[in-house]
Amino acid sequence: MTVVGDATQHAELAERDAWAILATVHGLGPVGFAALLARFGSAAAALQVTGSPGGVAALADTRGPGGIDSIRRRAIGAELATVIADAAGRGSTIVQTIRALGLTPLTLEDRAYPRRLLSLEMPPHVLFVRGSVAALDPPSPVAIVGTRHPTEAGRRVSAEIAGAVSRAGGVVVSGLAIGIDGAAHASAVDQGAPTVAVLGSGHDRLYPRAHARLADRIVATGGAVVSELAPGYEATRGTFPRRNRVISGLADATVVVEAGRRSGALITADWALEQGRECFVVPGPLHAPASAGCLALLRSFPGQTRIVSGVAELLEDLGLVEEGQVDGRAGPSARARGLALDLGPVEQRLLDRLDRGPATVDELVASAAAAVATVLGALTLLEMRGLVSGAYGRYQAVEGPVGRSA
Amino acid sequence: MLATVHSASLYGLEGRVIRVEVDVAPGLPGFSIVGLADAALQEARERCRGAIRNSGFDFPPRRITVNLAPADLPKSGSGLDLGIALAILLGSEQVRAAGRWALVGELSLGGEVRRVPGLLPMVAALGRRGIRRVIVPAEGLEEARLVTDVEAIPAASIAEAIEAMRAPRSRPRRTIDPPARVELASPPMVGSADPGPRVPGHADPRREVPGREDPGRSDPGREHAAQDGPAVAPSGAAALTDGLAWPDLADVRGQAEARRALEIALAGGHGLLMIGPPGSGKTLLARTIPGLLPPLGDDEALEATIVDSVASDLAVAGLVRRRPFRAPHHTISYAGMVGGGPRLSPGEATRADHGVLFLDELPEFDRDVLEALRQPLEEGRVAISRAGRATVFPARFQLVAAMNPCPCGQAGVEGRVCRCRTGVAARYAARVSGPLRDRIDLWVMLPPVPPASLVQDDEPEDSATVAGRIVAARCLALERNRGRLNGRLSGRTLLAVAQLSTDARARLVALAELEELSGRGTERLLRVARTIADLDASGSVDEHHLAEAARFRSPARRLADRLAV
Repeated sequence: MTVVGDATQHAELAERDAWAILATVHGLGPVGFAALLARFGSAAAALQVTGSPGGVAALADTRGPGGIDSIRRRAIGAELATVIADAAGRGSTIVQTIRALGLTPLTLEDRAYPRRLLSLEMPPHVLFVRGSVAALDPPSPVAIVGTRHPTEAGRRVSAEIAGAVSRAGGVVVSGLAIGIDGAAHASAVDQGAPTVAVLGSGHDRLYPRAHARLADRIVATGGAVVSELAPGYEATRGTFPRRNRVISGLADATVVVEAGRRSGALITADWALEQGRECFVVPGPLHAPASAGCLALLRSFPGQTRIVSGVAELLEDLGLVEEGQVDGRAGPSARARGLALDLGPVEQRLLDRLDRGPATVDELVASAAAAVATVLGALTLLEMRGLVSGAYGRYQAVEGPVGRSA
Repeated sequence: MLATVHSASLYGLEGRVIRVEVDVAPGLPGFSIVGLADAALQEARERCRGAIRNSGFDFPPRRITVNLAPADLPKSGSGLDLGIALAILLGSEQVRAAGRWALVGELSLGGEVRRVPGLLPMVAALGRRGIRRVIVPAEGLEEARLVTDVEAIPAASIAEAIEAMRAPRSRPRRTIDPPARVELASPPMVGSADPGPRVPGHADPRREVPGREDPGRSDPGREHAAQDGPAVAPSGAAALTDGLAWPDLADVRGQAEARRALEIALAGGHGLLMIGPPGSGKTLLARTIPGLLPPLGDDEALEATIVDSVASDLAVAGLVRRRPFRAPHHTISYAGMVGGGPRLSPGEATRADHGVLFLDELPEFDRDVLEALRQPLEEGRVAISRAGRATVFPARFQLVAAMNPCPCGQAGVEGRVCRCRTGVAARYAARVSGPLRDRIDLWVMLPPVPPASLVQDDEPEDSATVAGRIVAARCLALERNRGRLNGRLSGRTLLAVAQLSTDARARLVALAELEELSGRGTERLLRVARTIADLDASGSVDEHHLAEAARFRSPARRLADRLAV
């Protein structure tokens, strides 16, 4: 498929557009797509047929692949054929829309098509890519997925892992959803690293809308926002599981940070296992609803899923080395770093307490044996020094950067 | 024959003197009222007819014309009834009177005189016009007597009014109780929290609310009753539902941060927003506010009494000394909040003048209603313009608000799962608009209260102790800021009173950079720090004051991160 002359290039472009046009047809799945290509030789040819007399009928006669003639089934029904003919009629409009959105359609036949997806059982025929196409085929892509209702801790873990993976030269792949996904993307973008977001909708129906700006930032930092759904597709219940197989398919390994019992992230994990990719699971407390799915996953697939026992350990398992890392173990505790900083007695007592786990102001007041005003002021000082973080009336100690000593 | 008496009508919060002229002329029997009278006034004809007949007089079968002067001023309400009836009796020569009289009151068909809203400003207006004797409804006597220089004569019926008019310069016929004694509490602790009228028969006046409890507030105990981890001691819950008493701070368990935020807010007149899951004690904390506020000053008390006189359904029993605490339900209408309506009545914003306006479930309020609060929050007043009539109501209230983090109330709370659909929580938080956020100096998040803290032995501080600190800090601020609380300071004035030390200045810059604060955000931080320093009785704002103030900064950025990422 080397580009030789103008004519070839033109033909190739036309073919790519034809694929994109076919991809807009609702109801035309991988099976139908493959059948069309098999029968007519190319997508452009298939679209041309619809224009000729009796073309629609011919289209509808397309048979799917099958062993014995008698059990061959029709891959394309009469109704679907009409829709395809209709799309062919609107072909130029569709192509214009795709251009206007700044999308690059990647077809199965493109050389730039991510090679990891080629090994899927039924890879998407067309990928609509916004941003860097190269970002889809990086050396070590890692999918980070999880619930849309994470805990504060889960959000932090997601951001930590994404940050570490990015620093180590990996590319974070996720689903741009609210929650774990968003935290992972945002953390990668903060590192200035490329990250890949896979949508469960068409690009012009970006879901969730709240992440439109995050999507822009992903594109701006050299990442890509990608969807197998053509513009115009709304996000529906059914589009997300499909999207999930692309997420796991684009990555070498999938990390599930937090997942409730019925979280979509579990589907991504299933896909990863089915696709023969690695699957890592961050374990959670026994009774945490946001970790119930993770624990179930670990129990259901012993030997196949791997546990995340620390960010550094995960990087090691992934074969990644973080920049500037000396020895990858948990960083020094906030308390240890605080000792080096010559803190006041109240600050020190607060750190001692927080070292044992997150606490509310009430608990801190009790354990520091100081007035509320003093405790609140001390918390600000600790926060300014990066030793403590807090949200929602709860505070926790911040572990030091991995591999760096205070 | 022509007869003239004076009466008064209400226009916004002001009384207007009305001359009631009645001409009883020969001709076909008829009764008409001219002079821009509203519907309630037109119906005065029927009330006067019945009241005169049932008081043992004849309703003259003549052509009766009532003119209400000045003729171009729209008049409303039923307070002119008594004046009209007496003028008719004078005009038909059934009674005689000496001197110049003013009468205010509504009539029943049986001839009884009833109280009307706004008696106090109406009597005051008559007094300013040089009228020295005013006949008022007996139940409104104490209110009318708050106006010095005017002799208020009570009348429970037309007959009593006539009797009073026949005998000029006489003392009132009925023996009456002296007006409720208005006491300034003995300083500085318990009583200072509430030196309202002492009501006999109640051992603890601190817990007594005069019958002004907001009727619009429905079922305030709902939130607490439905939750599993309430911060409510049983007595507090009971106090909430009976609508008569407010909880003491000693009833609130845990929530040290929010308690401190409330103390700072009340000491500095800062806007406060409490965010927390249901049952974390937001509403309970807010309900303790009346017990924490210092009493009104003399001028403030008079203004508050006038508002009360106009807006309250009940007679005012003396000068209002308690700072208003208004907690309208979130279904309140636009006019209900800022005032207006056909009779230009004051709204909750005005009823909370000099006090606290508490908006529970802030995002549930209509957007229009919340936006309407911007003018009073910035200017301390509400200007209302209607076709042909305009007025200005005072509205110098302090805003205290509470909200759940999301409709289900669990978003972002450790160990709980938010059941809201994606994006709902962010939209919920966004319902509180930017301009309103800007007026809120203190933000505090309330975590759920663990059951353990409900049964702890150590008694939390009670309201009286905290109220003492609040009063002291307010005094410092008012003296230094020339009568303004810190919450109303900005710009150069704020910087001047802050008295930042060099270290504190550096800390302020560091904090502002850390949080990427805007100019406004930095100012909010400084305002709050000023109040914390006042609570500390410190002349200058030091580093640790700023450090504490930073805990209450707007979490707008963090909130957005949490909800949208």
